[in-house]
Formats: sequence, C-alpha cells, structure tokens
Amino acid sequence: MNKKKRKKISGADLAFRIFNTIFMIAFVVITLYPVLNTLAISLNDGTDALRGGIYLWPRVFTWKNYTTVLQKDNLITGAFITVARTIIGTFLALVSNAILAFIVSRKDFIFAKQVSLFWVITMYVNGGLIPTFLLYKSLGLTNSFAVYVIPGMISAFNMLVIRTYMKGIPDSLEESAQLDGAGYTTIFLKIISPLCKPVYATVALFVAVGQWNSWFDAMLYNRMSDDLTTLQYELMKLLSSVTNQSSSAESMKNSNGSVTPTSVRAAATIITMLPIICIYPFLQKYFVTGLTLGGVKE
Amino acid sequence: MNKKSISLTQLKHQKVLLIWAAVIVVYGVVFYYLPLAGWVMAFQDYKPVTGLLHSKFIGFDKFIRLFSDVTFLRVIRNTLAMGVINLAVTFFMAILFAILLNEIACQGGKKVVQTISYLPHFLSWIIVTGILHDALSGTGIINQLLLNFNLVEQPINFFAHEKYFWPIVAFANVWKETGWNAIIYLAAITAIDPSLYEAAAIDGAGRWAKIKHVTLPGIKPTIMILLLMNIGNVLNAGFEIQYLLGNGLVVNVSQTIDIYVLKWGISQGDYAIGTAAGIFKSVVSIVLIVICNRIAKRHGEERLF
Amino acid sequence: MKKRVVSALLITTMLTSMLAGCGKTAGHGGAVNEDGIKEFTAFFAVPGTEINDDNEIQQIIAEKTGCKVKESWLTGQTAEEAVGTFIAGGEYPDFIDGGDGSVQLYEAGALVALDDYIDNYPNIKEFFTDQEWDAIRQDDGHIYWIPQFTNIYGEERECIQNGEAFWIQTRVLEWAGYPEVHTMDQYFDLIEAYNEANPTMEDGTENIPYTILCDDWRYFCLENAPEFLDGYPNDGSVIVDPETKKIIDYNTTDTAVKYFKKLNEEYKKGIVDQESFTQTYDEYIAKLSTGRVLGMIDQWWDFAYTAEDAIKTAGLDKQGCQYVPLPITIDEGMKNQWHNSGGELNVSSGLAITVDCGDVEGALQFVNDLLGQEVHDLRFWGVEGVDYNIGDDGMYTRTPEMRTNVVDAAYKAAHMCPYSYFPQWLGTSRDGKNAMKPEGQEDEFYDGLSDTVRECFEAYGAETYVEMLGTSPAPGPWYPMYTYSNSMTTSTPGGTAWTLMGETKHQYLPKVVMADDFDAAWDEYMEAYNACHPEDFLSEMQTELDRRIEEAAKYE
Repeated sequence: MNKKKRKKISGADLAFRIFNTIFMIAFVVITLYPVLNTLAISLNDGTDALRGGIYLWPRVFTWKNYTTVLQKDNLITGAFITVARTIIGTFLALVSNAILAFIVSRKDFIFAKQVSLFWVITMYVNGGLIPTFLLYKSLGLTNSFAVYVIPGMISAFNMLVIRTYMKGIPDSLEESAQLDGAGYTTIFLKIISPLCKPVYATVALFVAVGQWNSWFDAMLYNRMSDDLTTLQYELMKLLSSVTNQSSSAESMKNSNGSVTPTSVRAAATIITMLPIICIYPFLQKYFVTGLTLGGVKE
Repeated sequence: MNKKSISLTQLKHQKVLLIWAAVIVVYGVVFYYLPLAGWVMAFQDYKPVTGLLHSKFIGFDKFIRLFSDVTFLRVIRNTLAMGVINLAVTFFMAILFAILLNEIACQGGKKVVQTISYLPHFLSWIIVTGILHDALSGTGIINQLLLNFNLVEQPINFFAHEKYFWPIVAFANVWKETGWNAIIYLAAITAIDPSLYEAAAIDGAGRWAKIKHVTLPGIKPTIMILLLMNIGNVLNAGFEIQYLLGNGLVVNVSQTIDIYVLKWGISQGDYAIGTAAGIFKSVVSIVLIVICNRIAKRHGEERLF
Repeated sequence: MKKRVVSALLITTMLTSMLAGCGKTAGHGGAVNEDGIKEFTAFFAVPGTEINDDNEIQQIIAEKTGCKVKESWLTGQTAEEAVGTFIAGGEYPDFIDGGDGSVQLYEAGALVALDDYIDNYPNIKEFFTDQEWDAIRQDDGHIYWIPQFTNIYGEERECIQNGEAFWIQTRVLEWAGYPEVHTMDQYFDLIEAYNEANPTMEDGTENIPYTILCDDWRYFCLENAPEFLDGYPNDGSVIVDPETKKIIDYNTTDTAVKYFKKLNEEYKKGIVDQESFTQTYDEYIAKLSTGRVLGMIDQWWDFAYTAEDAIKTAGLDKQGCQYVPLPITIDEGMKNQWHNSGGELNVSSGLAITVDCGDVEGALQFVNDLLGQEVHDLRFWGVEGVDYNIGDDGMYTRTPEMRTNVVDAAYKAAHMCPYSYFPQWLGTSRDGKNAMKPEGQEDEFYDGLSDTVRECFEAYGAETYVEMLGTSPAPGPWYPMYTYSNSMTTSTPGGTAWTLMGETKHQYLPKVVMADDFDAAWDEYMEAYNACHPEDFLSEMQTELDRRIEEAAKYE
C-alpha cells in the first residue's frame, strides 16, 4: 500500500529506515536461531548431542533421528487423519465462526450484545476434563472422527477477530445492497465475505495450526481406535517411548549412534513444521501484500 | 439500542439471523455450558468412583483451604505479576513488530522477515527454555557479552536470583510469540483504506505521522478487542515455561496457579482443588472483562459485547 | 475443481471414520481374530515403549500362546487423570495397571478378584509366596493385581548398582593409586587433591570437581544421602531403626548436619559446582557427558543410559571418565547399605484384569504362559540365533552386532516384545545357568566393560558395580518404606506434611549449601521444616511400620 513514488528521502525518514532495518535484522537473527538450532540437533547424533555445544551446525551428522521418526508405526494413518481433520476442521470452523461473526456484527440485530456476551464467557470457563469427557461420550463422539472437528468448531476468539474486521467494513456497501433487495444471506456471501479474505486467512491459519498440532483429543477420546490416531499423537507416543527406553535397564553396550529424547523431539518438530512452512506463503499473500479493498472506495 | 422495543417486523426481517444465532447458541450451550456441571466437583469430595452425582458435598471447604494457604496467595501474586508483564510486553511487541514490518518497502524482505518471525511459535516450550537456559548459563552468550563489555565482573547466575525470573519469562514469551501474534495486526492493517495514506501524504505527513494518524487508528478496534480478551487471561500466565525454568531457589516467584493446582490437586487425585481454582480464575476473568468492557464503552472504544 | 477435491475428501473421511467408529469398544474380552488368535487390550498408567502392530516376537508369542495384547501407555497425563477418565467413562481395557491410580480402580469395582483363579495357573502361583500374596490383598481380602517387578527366581544376578551412590571417575582413583575411600571426608579430600593436581582434562577443559543435580523431583541427589551415610538402606523417606523398630527422620540427624555442612564448605571452596542448583537435568547430563565432572551422588539409571553412553561414544572412557560407586559412610568402619539384595515387593500397583474382560481365564492363561521359560526368554533375550547365541556350555551370548540391534529404537519397535508391564522374573533362568534378563548375565556384562573400568574393578577385587559396594540383605519385612510414603496423598495430615516437607527441602537445602553463614541458614531451614509438622508424617509412617511388622509376624 505504500508503493508511492520515491520522493526525496528526508533525514528522519532515513533514520527510520536504518533503525527499522537494524531492528528487523536483529529480530530475524534472534527468532531464526532456535529454529536453526533445532534443525542442527535433529541432524546430529543423539548421544553425541548430549554433550551440548551444538549451535547452528551438526557435529556428528546423521539422518537417524529422522528415520526413527519416519519408521514409527501408524504414522501414515496419523498423517492422513491429521490432514483430513485440518482440512475439514478448518473449513467447518471458518464457516461457523464467519456466520456467527456476521450475525453479531449486524448493528440492527436485536440480540447482538447478548449473543456476544454468551460467547465471550465461554473463553473463560471450563468444566474440566472429566465432565467434558462424559459429555462427548454421551454424544457418541468418542471413538469417532467427529470429536476432532465438532467440539472446537466455534471459538469466541476467532469469532471476535472476524467480527472486528467486519465492523470495519463501511456500512454504505451493505445499505446499497439492501436497497437492491438483497437479503442477509446474499450480503454475507456476496458482499462481506469477499472483503474479509485477509481475516478469513488469519483465522484459517490459527485453526489449521491448532488442528495440525493437537494430539490430546486423540489420546483422550480415540485411544482405542488406531485408525483415528493423529500425527502428533503418534509423535508424542514415540517421544515418550524414546524417553522411557533411554532410562530402562536394557543392555547399554555398544549403543553408539543412538537416538535420545532431545534429538527425536528436534526431528519431530522439524517434520511437523515443514508442511506449515510450505503452506504459509499461500495464506501469507492475504495479509502481507497490502491487499486493496477494490470495491470499498466510494 | 437495547432499550428499543422489539418490533415484529424487525423479527421477521431478521429471521435468518435469528435462526442461525439460535442454532449456534444451542451448540454453545451443549459444548461450553453443559460441562460446567462439573463445577459441583469443587464443592464435593469428588471420587471418580461415586461420580458427580453421588460424591459427598463438603461446601466451601476447598475454597477456604485455598485462600487460607499463604502459598496460594503468593501463587496468585506470581500469576498476576507474570500475566500482566507478559501481556504488556508481548502486546506491545506484536503491535510494534506489525507496524514496523508494514513499513518495509521491499516486498520480498517483508515476506521473508514475517515467515521467519512466526517460526518459534512451533517450537515447544521445552526446546525454547532449553536454548534459553544455554544462552543464560555461566558460559552462555549473554554472560560472554556482559563480560566482554565489562558490564559485570563475574558471570551472573540468572536462574539463581528471584529478580531475574519474571523478566526472563517475559522475554521468552516475546521471543516465541511476537511474530505469531503480529499476524492478526497485519491482517487488520490490510483493511486500512490506501486512500487514507495518500491523503496523509498530500498533507505532507511523514512516516511517523502516517503511523500515528492512519495505521494506528486503523487497527485500533483490533487492538482494543485483543486487549480486552487478554485482560481476561491474565490469570492464565502459563504453566510449562515456569515449570521448566524454575528451580528451588526461585520457587517463591516462579510458582503459578496452574503449577499449584498440579502439585496439590491433580497429582494427588484431588479434583476439587483444581476445580475450585478453576472457578476462581473464571470469576476473576469475567469480572475483569466486564469492568474493562464498561470502561471501553464509556470511552466509545470497540468492545467485546 | 478445488471444491470437488475437498468435498470428496470430506466424504471419504467421514465414511472411514464412521466405519472406524463402529465395533470399537474398550475391552475386546479376548475376541478371536481371523488367524484364530485371541486379542486383548491393555493400558498401563505409566509412560512406556510402544511396539509396532506387526512386531515379530509378538507374533511368535501369539503363535505359541494363542494370544496377543495390544498395549497402550500413558501420554501427557498423570496416572490419576487417566484412570479417572476410564472410571468416569465406565469402559476398561482387558488388562490394566493403574499405577498411582490403582486403588481408585479397585474402589470403583473395575477389577476382577484374582484369588479364586490363581491356583489353576502354576506359573502365576509360583510367582509369589503365600505371605507375599497375602500382602497384596486389599482391605476386602481379595487379590486384584499382580506386582510385576523385582521378583527374583533362584539366585540373584545383579551386576549394576542401579540405585544411589557416591560416584567417582576412574581417572581420579587411578591417579591416587586406587586408595580405599570409605568416608565422605576422604571422598572430598581425594577429589580436591586430584583437582589441584589436574585442574583440566586432556584437551584443556576445566574439571568440575563435584556437581549436584537438583532439578524438580530429581533433587533426591541432594537430599537423601544422610540415610545412606548413617549406614541405612534406601527406605526412601525415613530411616527404620532395626533394633528398636522406630522411625527416624534422616533430615534432622547429626549426620545430616555434617553432610550439608561439608557441602557448604566445599561450595565455598569452589569444589561444588556453582551452577548446581540452577542447572536442568539436560544441562547436568551434558556436563557429565563431556567427562568434566569428577564426582556426584546419583542413581545409576538416572545418568548411565545417557551420560555414560555419551562418554563412551566420545572415547572418553580411555581417559577414565566413567563412573564407579564408592562404599561411603559418615565415619570409618560402618557398614554401608547403598545396595540391598533381594526383591522389593511394591504392593501399591500391578497388573490387573478388569470387569470388561470377557475371558478372564484366557487372560490369566496368557499371563501364565508369559512366565514360562521359553516365552520369558523370547520376551527378554529375543529369538535364538537372531538376538543371542547359545554356546556349547549352554550360556547365552550376544555378538557386538546383536548388542547394537537390541538398543536400536526402530529395531526394538519392529522386533522385540518384552510385554514389559506383565509379570516377569529377575534372577536365574530355570536352566540354572543363564540370567532371566540379559543385564544379569555376568559374562555379557564383563565383556561390555571398558578397559579402564575393568582395571579399576580389578584393583578393588571386584567384578561388578555391586561388588564395589558390597551388598546386604533387606533389613526386615517392612523394607522398603517408600512404597507407603509414595502412596500418601494430601487427604491425611501425614500426607500433607510429607508434601510440604518436600517443598521446603527443595527450597531451603540449596540455600543452606550456598549460605555464607551455615549455622544461621540451617536454623532458618529447620524453622521452616518444623513448621511443616513432620511429626504427623513420622507418626503415620510409624503406624505403617508397626502394621507391616505385625503382618510379617503371622508367618513366623
């Protein structure tokens, strides 16, 4: 949005640019470091890494951590379910949050305030593990795929983020459409939603990442169903296995080149990060490239 | 607008909205409000064996026990302090980062910086705290720098002193979440009408002026909403990071409500304590957001409800 | 186009998940699968090692016994939480070990009483003596679970001091000409002398003379030494005076004061690592792994499978950086009990069968089969010719390649099937020669030792870690008391005191060691300690001790 013709650069402007560049470089260095460090550890022999002192480059290179992770039983099933829940879960969550946000952002909607309050409260209350478990069980959600996508479908946080964005859209658009006889459904689908792409992308990202990373629900509700396991749950189990076995009284001889919890965790982290890094640029264009709201200008 | 009487025509007109709102509210009741029946646990000597329906009622015993325990009061203080510090710092940094990022002229650079900035979000706390421990250890980079610039004579043992604990936690939060938190603001910035920037430029506004008069007001509603939501979360200052960074020497400042609940409740099979603490947190959160919401309303700002 | 892909995915997943949703209940109750194998499910409320579905030895065992168990383990929850969810849901797997939540399962009526069945299964019957079986009975007089571990068949075979000790690097002992080290003062004198003569390692890295692990629950490395220094065994939470049968609090003994005062002095001298109390477990292991640390107190399992391995991998064993235990007490001439022989029956949890198991006989038959020698060998030694060889003398040995295999995570998941939370034997195999488990096989053990450790052992006339310390039988029928204190909860005054005492020690002991003025710090600590009402805890322990002695008297 700032693609303006280069005018003469004022002193203050120059100072700002220099400051900003330095700030960004520092920021990138600090935030990139832990990731690179994790990458280096994931490519280093586990036992060797115990000695510490690995920073940006592996000392004793090995693929072993990755092969250990990738040989995990049920990993394919887990990956399939995780992809499925991410796609379906994100889609359902986006649609339902958007609808709810649309409803409560209508200025003339008579229960806007009450419905908002109703949802805001849900952010701060929690019945606890066991009551929730009992509820899901009585709804028949245990041992089912639905437990991944139905319970978290609407979240007040995401809804409020969308609502705030929708409220920023000028009323004039909606009013003119209403004059043309458009109903709420048309306004939502044809006028508001196209303008909400950046916030939809944001919320989609939040939900997708949440879905991608979650494993507790798989453990709690679908423990007995191997074909409903998720990628992260399998990785958690693997990690727990490795942790357990590195302190078990197995023969400790000739164990050079073995994996450790730290090295496996690093490899698992990189493996789960990769797909998100790959998908991110497709979403990123919605909130970085300065999308102009073409039709908004009156 | 609440005071207006509801007319039939209005209802008819809003039929679609009402139906959908009703459906969604039913969903909310089932998935968010029904499990709250579990709150009775706080007033029971709950045993999984007897369940919610048949456990013995003990009234406010658990609440009394919580609030008569000096440790619990200290734990509330720690949680609040870390909650507020984290909120202030992460909030400020995310907005600052989003705005500065938006000012980068080079599109490629902007994308790269942003992509990198959110990556630490995907690292688990155990990895982040491990690296932080390394960096702050006696031979770590921070002490090396301090020694090289002659700022200290002896390496500082950062984890042995209570005064460093809260700042370290705050820094770790900033480190891990700034890029991720900034995404919302970046999305909000895209909604700002470019013509406003052009108008400001014509008025001779420089960068600072544009940020102050166009960007900030443009994302103000988003800021307000997130601020309100996060204020309700100050008692959720976390658990993992304090648990991983804490040690016996700093336990007075490192324990949070969640750690306390784990120690005295969950790991002892005492469900009531955990539930009672949860209710306490919920009540505080809701009171806080209701107050803040009212303040926001008085000032004509965006609000939650 | 995109939409179609999404909706197709949606439909297929929904369909598969609905299919998957059917027919899956908690306990299979020994349903017979298409190969004619009974399938059971099991849940263990501890973190465990997963094995693959198509695990090879599991398949071999299934063919021999006609049964197979699908195991699942605790992940990311406490045992109580996991058990609480099972009880709330009212569905159980066939087998369960509730760990700390076992009593909850019993109270919920989720477990099948086993006493009527046990007589029909000789291997199970043989697993405990009548006295031991009686010790496992719950307050309704029935047996609900079978403790799986530390049960010794025949002669005990133990090479490793798995428990706690003062450890020291072999290079220190070698340098000093393998002296006899019996007291804490001698131990620290030796370390100081060595460090003065050799302040660095071969590559110039500075030594850390002594470090203390104090991370979270692992702070036992700091706090419980006084009980051993006084010559008592690891009762864990208290000392039991074998003469008077009275509980003694080891936290307040003269020995405790001496021990912490010594640490305080060594801390001021710079012998105790200045980062001791702030280091994490990972940092501690990293320090040990670099070979810099000359000595510490720890339990073997806590550092050996990580740091010792790393030391060997880096070739530091040649510099004498591996650890051996020393028989240290507070004064010369005392008998140490760092190591105790004999099993320790932990009655607080074990393998149980739930009411959802439709085939209790089948399940017990399987447990019985698992205890048979052939299947037991399969579980712990593996397949003959693949995981071990049998020599002409009938002894089991492993080639270096086999040894590498059996510690490889992927190989283990695909091949080995120890059914590790089912009952199992230690000690000597029914053939009278081999050890029940590979780690008890002396020759195997001795082969695996590095030259420096072997040399050190020889100098002290020892062949195993245990022999470095000497061993004593269990002091009495009450041993070990920690099985009781571990099961205490905050619902009793004693349990509350026990939790508070732990917190206080964890908070104050580091300060005591670091204090400029030891006496003042100790007084402050004692004040805080006494405010926890340790007497509540001690009296509950005394009651339990009396009960145990009384129980045991019935069998004399």
